Amino acid sequence: MIDQREIAAEPPARTPAPPLSGPAERPRGAARTLGRSLAFRNVSALYVFAVILVVFSLWVPDTFLAWTTWKTLLDNQAVAAMTAIALVLPLAAGVFDLAVGLEVGLGSMLAAWLLVDQGVPVGAAIPLAVLAGALVGTVNGLLVVKARIDSFIATLGVSSILAALISWISGGEQILGVPASFARVGTGELLGVTYPVWFLLVVALTLWYVLERTPVGRRVYATGGNLDAARLAGVRTPLVIVGCLAACGAVAAFGGVLVTSRLANGDPTIGPGYMLPAFTAAFLGSTQFRGGRFNVWGTVVAVYVLAAGVKGLQLAGAPVWIPDLFNGTALLIAVAMAKHQGSAGRASAIRRLLRLDRGVSSAAAAKGAS
Amino acid sequence: MTTPLLEVRRLSKTFPGLRALDDVSLTVGAHEVVALVGHNGSGKSTLVKILAGVHAPDPGSEVIVHDAGGTAAGEHAQRERLHFIHQDLGLIPRLSTIENLDLNRSLGRSALAPVRGRREARHAERLLERFGARFDVHAPIARLTAAERTLVAIARALDGWSGPRNVLILDEPTAALHGDEAGRLFDAVRRLAADGAGIVFVSHRLDEVVELADRAVVLRDGRVAADVARGAFDHDALVRLIAGRELEPADVPASRRAGEPILSARGLAGPTLAGVDLDLHAGEVVGVTGIVGSGREQVSGMLFGALPRTAGEVHVAARPLTAAAPRAAIARGVAYVPADRRREGAVMRMSARENLTLPRLAPLRRRLGRLDGRAERAEARRWTEEVGVRPAEPERKLELFSGGNQQKVVLAKWLRIRPRVLLLDEPTQGVDVGAKDGIYRLIRGAAADGAAVLVSSSETKELASLCDRVLVLRDGRVVAEVAREQLSEARLVRETLGGREDDGGRQPGYTDGRDR
Repeated sequence: MIDQREIAAEPPARTPAPPLSGPAERPRGAARTLGRSLAFRNVSALYVFAVILVVFSLWVPDTFLAWTTWKTLLDNQAVAAMTAIALVLPLAAGVFDLAVGLEVGLGSMLAAWLLVDQGVPVGAAIPLAVLAGALVGTVNGLLVVKARIDSFIATLGVSSILAALISWISGGEQILGVPASFARVGTGELLGVTYPVWFLLVVALTLWYVLERTPVGRRVYATGGNLDAARLAGVRTPLVIVGCLAACGAVAAFGGVLVTSRLANGDPTIGPGYMLPAFTAAFLGSTQFRGGRFNVWGTVVAVYVLAAGVKGLQLAGAPVWIPDLFNGTALLIAVAMAKHQGSAGRASAIRRLLRLDRGVSSAAAAKGAS
Repeated sequence: MTTPLLEVRRLSKTFPGLRALDDVSLTVGAHEVVALVGHNGSGKSTLVKILAGVHAPDPGSEVIVHDAGGTAAGEHAQRERLHFIHQDLGLIPRLSTIENLDLNRSLGRSALAPVRGRREARHAERLLERFGARFDVHAPIARLTAAERTLVAIARALDGWSGPRNVLILDEPTAALHGDEAGRLFDAVRRLAADGAGIVFVSHRLDEVVELADRAVVLRDGRVAADVARGAFDHDALVRLIAGRELEPADVPASRRAGEPILSARGLAGPTLAGVDLDLHAGEVVGVTGIVGSGREQVSGMLFGALPRTAGEVHVAARPLTAAAPRAAIARGVAYVPADRRREGAVMRMSARENLTLPRLAPLRRRLGRLDGRAERAEARRWTEEVGVRPAEPERKLELFSGGNQQKVVLAKWLRIRPRVLLLDEPTQGVDVGAKDGIYRLIRGAAADGAAVLVSSSETKELASLCDRVLVLRDGRVVAEVAREQLSEARLVRETLGGREDDGGRQPGYTDGRDR
């Protein structure tokens, strides 16, 4: 999505000669590196996961250790996880997408509407719904980079418009009668695991690869880390921001398609419920693995650790209000702990997004012009 | 003579490796406007910071605020009676004049009492009327002119005066003001002095000092070079006192400039620039200097396209460069190191490695758009060795390095793209003394490799030792070009302050190169 071509006329990058004395490659403290990457503060969620596993295995062994429990867990959280990793993209680029929940809702509703009311075949309805999500994301992006509206406000406004759109096409009612072939997309199984889990894996792998292993991802993080510095280093920051919001919209809409497929009908009310858990997981995920950066695997792990904890509590007979309490507490503790450990930049992705002086670039532009 | 309001006795301040102030004494009396002048690094700002309580002076130094009877009034009075207006004024741009004035007031029991709008507005208007100013006190500060903002800041300082015997310290208050705006500020300052306050006026603009000050205290190299009363100094005398003795030009190989310029700018104009022409040739280091507000701060950013320009053209290798397009500039081999490293120069939360490779990732791209991590790490390691980053750990987050090492990383990231033009803004700002030499070496090295280098700096010493020639800006125009053979710190100081023509007559060899 983000064009990576460089101007061909550039001279090749300069490389200094290796130092004359000594080997260029130093032996690395492999043990130290391993130790650091397994340090509690870097992978606390995995330790918490281990604790959850042990505690509930002892507490409610019959149900907690059953494969069906885990299969359901994986399946139930697949869309939530997909929404959360979609959100990682704009957050990494330093912008909010508060419309992410309604982008799920739009994908869900559009899929049902296209299939049932418009009679579009399955093979076309799914790409169309995903495309619509990308389009909404693009609009978000243009509002941010062209109209210079703060992303928080822009996506909030778009979110409301999407709610209206969903009500309008659905008439406020469920759309029933989704074809059976479509329902299989969200319910079929491969190797004992439902399709949505495989879709999640593919999307997560793709986003991880792009963010962590390509120059595109580097530019996304640079944009989120310091918009002005990235721009002055030649990064096309507007393109990065629009691209991230568009990709987020597309992935979220695909999640919505899966929801419709799993429910076998289009429900106009499902969207908003996906937003807060997605933010929770993305923020919690940013405290894991990558030292304060929003990242894909941290987010996926956050979703499933929280879900496993909640599941264990439910199986142990905890009351209905426990899950929300558990999620909220876990987020606060994880972020507070990351801050407390004080290693610079930890939890900083959150701090940076929430700081008061958002829109530094426009302030800088105004300053430059005064 | 009546008791002075403020007395500074034998004030010294030592930083590691630097004696910023050395046995400075001065007094400020009631009804008196004392100008504090001196060049960059003379110790002015250190003195102001000590008065403001930011730094503690060395033992044996005394800062005394006197009571009417002549007794010292204690530390509490120092906070109570010394009022500072810093260059950035410290106002909140979105709030109105009334609200900004209100922030000054302690809340006490009235914290939750309703705000009495009309009364506060009248109060604000009355305060401003003391300076003959009339503007909408309900308008946000951001919509006022620079002069009006300065007046609000002064009014706010005034509003907090709980007793007599106050001293107002203005730090470069006119840097952002136009000529007639400065006039209004001077009226306000004179009124305050007439009411019995003491004023300390820190400024680079010597014409203003001559116009306004009853006494001028000249600092040079941390010492009081002169303390002269009104009538005993004029513009030229001050320039001579500030610049000091002529030093031998530093021994740096002369420029090897040849052929056509790589970068040439014509009629460059913007908020503080009023038509600047300049040419950069391969292999030369060109300096740009000038006092605060001279336009010096914007030259390199505007050439690069980091700042928009209102007029003028920039050509690189005889092809025009689009305005305000950093990406296009980089593609043409132009690199820019901004003055504000934290905000614009680098992504502080990314590792040194990631910063190093950011401007050009293409050579590290492999199939499927993969970034070759191994090659990148190796390259980052070689570059940290090459420029001498300490500790040599490219995986460290940039914010965990010292300022000097951060700057080396920023330089390395641009040297890596083999710039044809290297634009540097205050390259050693916030850089420890030890790292400065390393940075100078890198800059000269870039020029030796064939880059055309522009160094914009307020440090005349730096320019005198680094540059092949230096352009001096005043009021947004190039007013002098000093060639290598005539380059010295004193010469640059004189040029930035606007020395008069008689200088040139007395000092042979100083007339050529001026006023192109």
